[in-house]
Amino acid sequence: MRKDLPIDILSAVEKPARYTGMEFGSIVKPESETEVAFCLAFPDTYEIGMSYLGYKILYEILNKLSGVAAERAFAPWVDMEEKMRERGLVLSSLENTRPLKEFDLLGFTLLYEMSYSNILNMLDLGGVPLLAKDRTLDDPFVCAGGCCVFNSEPLADFLDFCMLGDGERIIQEVTLLYRDWEREGKPGGRLGFLRRVSRIQGVYVPSFYEITYGEDGTITGKKPLEPTASEVVYKRAEQDLDALDFPTHPIVPYSDTVHDRIMLELFRGCSRGCRFCNAGIIYRPVRERRPGTVLELAKKLVPATGYNEISLFSLSTADYSHLEPLIRELLGDFRKDRVSVSLLSLRIDSFSVKLAQEVQAVRKSGLTFAPEAGSQRMRDVINKGVTEDDLMHAVGAAFENGWSQVKLYFMIGLPTETDEDVLAIAKLAQKVQWKYKEVTGHMGARVTVSVSNFVPKPYTPFQWVGQDTKEEFDRKHMLLKNAFANLKNIHFQYHDSRTSLMEGVLARGDRRLGKAIYLAWQRGAKFDSWSEFFDYDRWKQAVEDAGLTTDFYNSRPRGKEEIFPWEHTSCGVSRQFLWSEYEKAQEAALTHDCRRDTCTGCGVCQKLGIHIIDWKEGKA
Amino acid sequence: MKLRLQITKESGIRFISHLEYQRSIEKAIRRAGIPVAYSEGFNPHMKFSLASALSVGVTSSCEFAEIRLAEERPLSELVKALAAALPMGIHIVRADLAEDKAPKLMAQAQGASYEVHVPCASDPASQLAAFAAAPEVPYTKAHKKGKGKPKTIDVKSFIPQVEARWQDGSLELRFDIRITPTGSMKASEFLQVLEQDFQVPLAFSQADIRRVDLYSRDGEGRKIPLIGEA
Repeated sequence: MRKDLPIDILSAVEKPARYTGMEFGSIVKPESETEVAFCLAFPDTYEIGMSYLGYKILYEILNKLSGVAAERAFAPWVDMEEKMRERGLVLSSLENTRPLKEFDLLGFTLLYEMSYSNILNMLDLGGVPLLAKDRTLDDPFVCAGGCCVFNSEPLADFLDFCMLGDGERIIQEVTLLYRDWEREGKPGGRLGFLRRVSRIQGVYVPSFYEITYGEDGTITGKKPLEPTASEVVYKRAEQDLDALDFPTHPIVPYSDTVHDRIMLELFRGCSRGCRFCNAGIIYRPVRERRPGTVLELAKKLVPATGYNEISLFSLSTADYSHLEPLIRELLGDFRKDRVSVSLLSLRIDSFSVKLAQEVQAVRKSGLTFAPEAGSQRMRDVINKGVTEDDLMHAVGAAFENGWSQVKLYFMIGLPTETDEDVLAIAKLAQKVQWKYKEVTGHMGARVTVSVSNFVPKPYTPFQWVGQDTKEEFDRKHMLLKNAFANLKNIHFQYHDSRTSLMEGVLARGDRRLGKAIYLAWQRGAKFDSWSEFFDYDRWKQAVEDAGLTTDFYNSRPRGKEEIFPWEHTSCGVSRQFLWSEYEKAQEAALTHDCRRDTCTGCGVCQKLGIHIIDWKEGKA
Repeated sequence: MKLRLQITKESGIRFISHLEYQRSIEKAIRRAGIPVAYSEGFNPHMKFSLASALSVGVTSSCEFAEIRLAEERPLSELVKALAAALPMGIHIVRADLAEDKAPKLMAQAQGASYEVHVPCASDPASQLAAFAAAPEVPYTKAHKKGKGKPKTIDVKSFIPQVEARWQDGSLELRFDIRITPTGSMKASEFLQVLEQDFQVPLAFSQADIRRVDLYSRDGEGRKIPLIGEA
């Protein structure tokens, strides 16, 4: 447990149990057995961090190595930060109260751009120099992994290195390499280690690259500065998930976390090819676990954790080849233990509704669907591959089975969007209401429409497009507000455009933004993904004071040949594929899913030497 | 049968809430494979209860849990399995097996003993003597979230006496609080009374409060443990 936090501090802050650790399954290794101390740092609260499966996987995998202690640290909530700064307390790990600055390796999980300011804040609270160039042999190596490392450039000043792709093996290799380097007496100093670690496939060292810019601000060139730094660093992709360690003794938190249940991953990757989706590109190709492995894991996890709920999860869970038999077996095997099964994402079809019916035999909470766009044209532009009929069948099946609450997710600001497309969201929501009347004979469906603002992401076919401006987003919100004002029983909610705009800056930003992030942090930015703390004007000013403009990064359409900041850290999908998808989007032409059909030529399998694993036909 | 346990809530986890503590034990019961009984119905819940909610921040060596069993098992086997499945910070002190119809432990609790260690600027002997001499000490309990009428109670009827030791700015208090069918009092409330009504210069926010016993009384008023020795 944290030994540094006195009673009067803990009793004065919100949710003190976030800071005290000692959960079942947490691993506290004694100092005498610790050769390498690795801090897994999560740049958000305990409750959020402890809900991420990847974080649990790495914790268990690293602690399996003898001589290696993996410990956890989270961003302290603002009330705790205030107390810590008042008393001069250093941010420390939950397990051994080890200050961040005393770790050998300090790894941050990058899951969303708006957590970047928290990384700086945690480094500062942990006594670690913020800038990589200021760190000495006494300081930890600061590294990162997670989906945002496919454009880690805005954090280039702060990170010593990044790990791209599946983390299971690469993180062990890096840790053992560190151990050897330390045993040898740290030859070559920090640079010596970075040179060595950059030889591991999937490791990217930002300081080993020089970026040059033209007069218009775009990139003119990238030059590796070290012989060990390759022109392009490709991600690690594990072929066989069955062969990877999956945590069977995860930490069971005392306090409620966002996902306080068993998280069971069925497969990685998704090749449905939605054109706005970054995860659908960077995690390719699809690789399933065998149904037998999943069952075996469940049988270990239930008695090891004591949870009574298993959440089956993947990017598109309903696409799992053996989902139905798997759910049946799980429900059967665990009936006497009263273990329930839940699905984290539903596809828009009656198959998914049938499954939902099967797993939630009793509780009829709401069902959530994501048509993403209101008009068919718009859904074709984003290659959603869902028709209005599909949605009507799905909600019809849901209403027939007793559900009356439906939540629908949409985006606005998509490329080629017209006002008609925006208003189609309201029309579609109304049709869902009518469907309820048609099925049940009376009104009263409760429909929630949640609208978010499109943020163009790197490694998507929409990486070239300009994001809507604040004025455009706000105008479209008003359009919808007016449209929904006349519709009863539809609850309309939308995200503030300003957070999406800053996310748009960071998502496709380059390393010059490091200065802006630093300034924003210095002026108080933290917990930017929490609306109560996000201050758009502070960020905009910081970007301008760094000699940059937000428009350059978010709303400016980019040229076909423009060199992007992120392309020397690659997920393996080719630029040509993304461009041809971008062109098809302009014509609202569809691209099929390659999972059980022909190759669509994204290039990832060829580039990384791996292939799709899908057990539909009983073969890979 | 029901398995009755005296368990701890140790210093490291003193800040988890009562609900979190309860859920953690439920998970431990499942991990241990205890053949626990469930309620009927659509949302079956485990037949498990904890006696007496402990305030957040207070440690205890005397939390009591009752687990209704669906199958009979030897006590030693149950205790061994559960001990291995409990998280750090919760240990089993005593255990026994009782008939299903045995009265709820909470209904039998008549008093709790506390130990408090708290920084205190000067020796509070005279203030504590004033407390001892006072025939009545009224205290008004504020209602949660400001709802309902405030209730005034007599502290002396719950805490007749206090044992104290002060040395070098540190105060150690030992006292018993009566538990009656109509209510009781929190140790922290008592500290507030001492601080505010008797001007004991204690640093309330730094108080380390420990519940060290929860007991019943026999016909002659002697303290008796709630469950038998394991």
